[in-house]
Amino acid sequence: MPTRTILVLCAAVLVAAMAGAPFVLNEGFLRLATECLLLLTMAQMWNLLAGYAGLVSLGHQVFVAFGAYSLFMTAGWLELTPIWVLPVAPLVSAIVAAVIAVPLFRLREAYFSIAMWVFAEIIGALTMKSSFAGGTAGLPLATSKLIDFDWFEPIMFWLAAALTLGTIGALYRLMISSFGLGLMSVRDNDLAAMSVGVDVRHNRFVAFVLSAAGCGLAGALNFMGNLYIAPLAAFDVNWSVYMMFIVIIGGIGTLEGPILGVIIFFGLREIMTGPLGLSGGWYLVGLGVLAVVVMMLFPRGIWPVLRDRIGVRLLDVHRTPPCPAAAMALNELSGRTPG
Amino acid sequence: MEPLLRVSGLCKRFGAIVVADDVEFELARGECLGVIGPNGAGKSSLLNLIVGLVTADHGSIVLDGVEISDLPPHRRARMGVGRAFQIPQPFTHLSVYENALVAASYGAGLRGAAASDWSMDVLRRTGLEGKAEKLAGALPLIDRKRLEFAKALASKPRLILLDEIAAGLTEPEVERLVAIIGTVKADHAIIWIEHIPHALRAVSDRILVLNFGRKVLEGPPAEVMDSAVVREIYMGLKADGVA
Repeated sequence: MPTRTILVLCAAVLVAAMAGAPFVLNEGFLRLATECLLLLTMAQMWNLLAGYAGLVSLGHQVFVAFGAYSLFMTAGWLELTPIWVLPVAPLVSAIVAAVIAVPLFRLREAYFSIAMWVFAEIIGALTMKSSFAGGTAGLPLATSKLIDFDWFEPIMFWLAAALTLGTIGALYRLMISSFGLGLMSVRDNDLAAMSVGVDVRHNRFVAFVLSAAGCGLAGALNFMGNLYIAPLAAFDVNWSVYMMFIVIIGGIGTLEGPILGVIIFFGLREIMTGPLGLSGGWYLVGLGVLAVVVMMLFPRGIWPVLRDRIGVRLLDVHRTPPCPAAAMALNELSGRTPG
Repeated sequence: MEPLLRVSGLCKRFGAIVVADDVEFELARGECLGVIGPNGAGKSSLLNLIVGLVTADHGSIVLDGVEISDLPPHRRARMGVGRAFQIPQPFTHLSVYENALVAASYGAGLRGAAASDWSMDVLRRTGLEGKAEKLAGALPLIDRKRLEFAKALASKPRLILLDEIAAGLTEPEVERLVAIIGTVKADHAIIWIEHIPHALRAVSDRILVLNFGRKVLEGPPAEVMDSAVVREIYMGLKADGVA
């Protein structure tokens, strides 16, 4: 299949570019690239839940925080290099998601969104009161002395790049599988989906847990890069707001949308705070205005419009029918169908 | 012969509104049961109870000897209950082919080439083959009605529930749809809600009349359509001719 070859080539070029980037880019730019990649991963995870399972979460910061705190605390207890403790982050976030899914899945639509937010706020408040988690002051990365500082930024970048490419690759594979077809049917119409045998609740549960795990890992990497975690930063609702912004302006329910969204998100930030010299507050105003304009003009985001205009499909997850001639021949071989 | 579907003592009320009041009937494979009744008589609710979107207060629904009234909708769909909604419910951002493929993969439990070939087979039977690659959201009404039927059929049901599938179509379109339904009748049991008498007569073996959630009559189409009870319900005429 030629599209497959193109995809493999693109992936190879991307991997090579990511591998070489730290030798070309300066440290500041590398940090920005790492930040972009981690937020892209989180946005893809939010999209998996909102765009494919129809659950809009305003509390995804709780998974970012659980992932990051579990990394900091486990690395501290076991006195290990944080990198080896990374697998704990997605695991803890996934377990938390699996547990809270039981009460939260009884709620629908806005009630679910608000309950997620409230849950995140409660955990945030509890964390600030917990001395073992550092309280309001937060925690330093206890074993940061074990990190090789010459290679710290490149390693962080490579980890973020691997996570992002891995996430997009895995989501692509998921979406072309029959489970992905089920997810997309739920995205379009959950009533119709359950009427043709799709277990909507199970699909939502799997998407919720996967989404939490991905956010946990991305969150752990983000705070590992800072070498420090504080509850106000970890449980910041802006994590969810940014994910939502990126997905909605890029194109909800598409794999390409969040990529476009993250480019716009950081492009706008760098232009407004850099060349234009505006303060961070103005940048948030700019983001808000852009989001409203995009939602009014292109309710499904920029990518679907762009795709139809230029006729390009990058990560095409559509299934094409079998060739009619071949199907016809097969039918004749297997004898006439009844009716 | 053991019927494919046996509904007995089915009751459901929402507060003061009774949508099913001790409904019972049986249906065999190859049989089509037409359901008529005024608006609000509980016709669509009866289908919702059978597919599991609404759970009954009392009563039993037995499909091929298995009690299904406690199962969630997706389990009932996998066991062979297919439904075409009154208002078409397509997967709008998926192609027509993918719409059928969802039903073939989940409802019928098919995989790989078996799923894609069966989906195409269903599209061919429902006259949607030429539009397989179109987005379902872009289809005109007749094709959305066909797709509703195609999705139900692609899940390899034993029982097909049709909810006003011919409503809103032009006369020639109704005829084409009736012809398509006729082709699958022999292998399936069908329950068909419709307000178009001649379409219903053409396919139904029996007609069941619902009013206020209660079964008021069941019998051969001609007999039911000419009965005094039906005329009373539909035209407000008392059986003795006094309005």
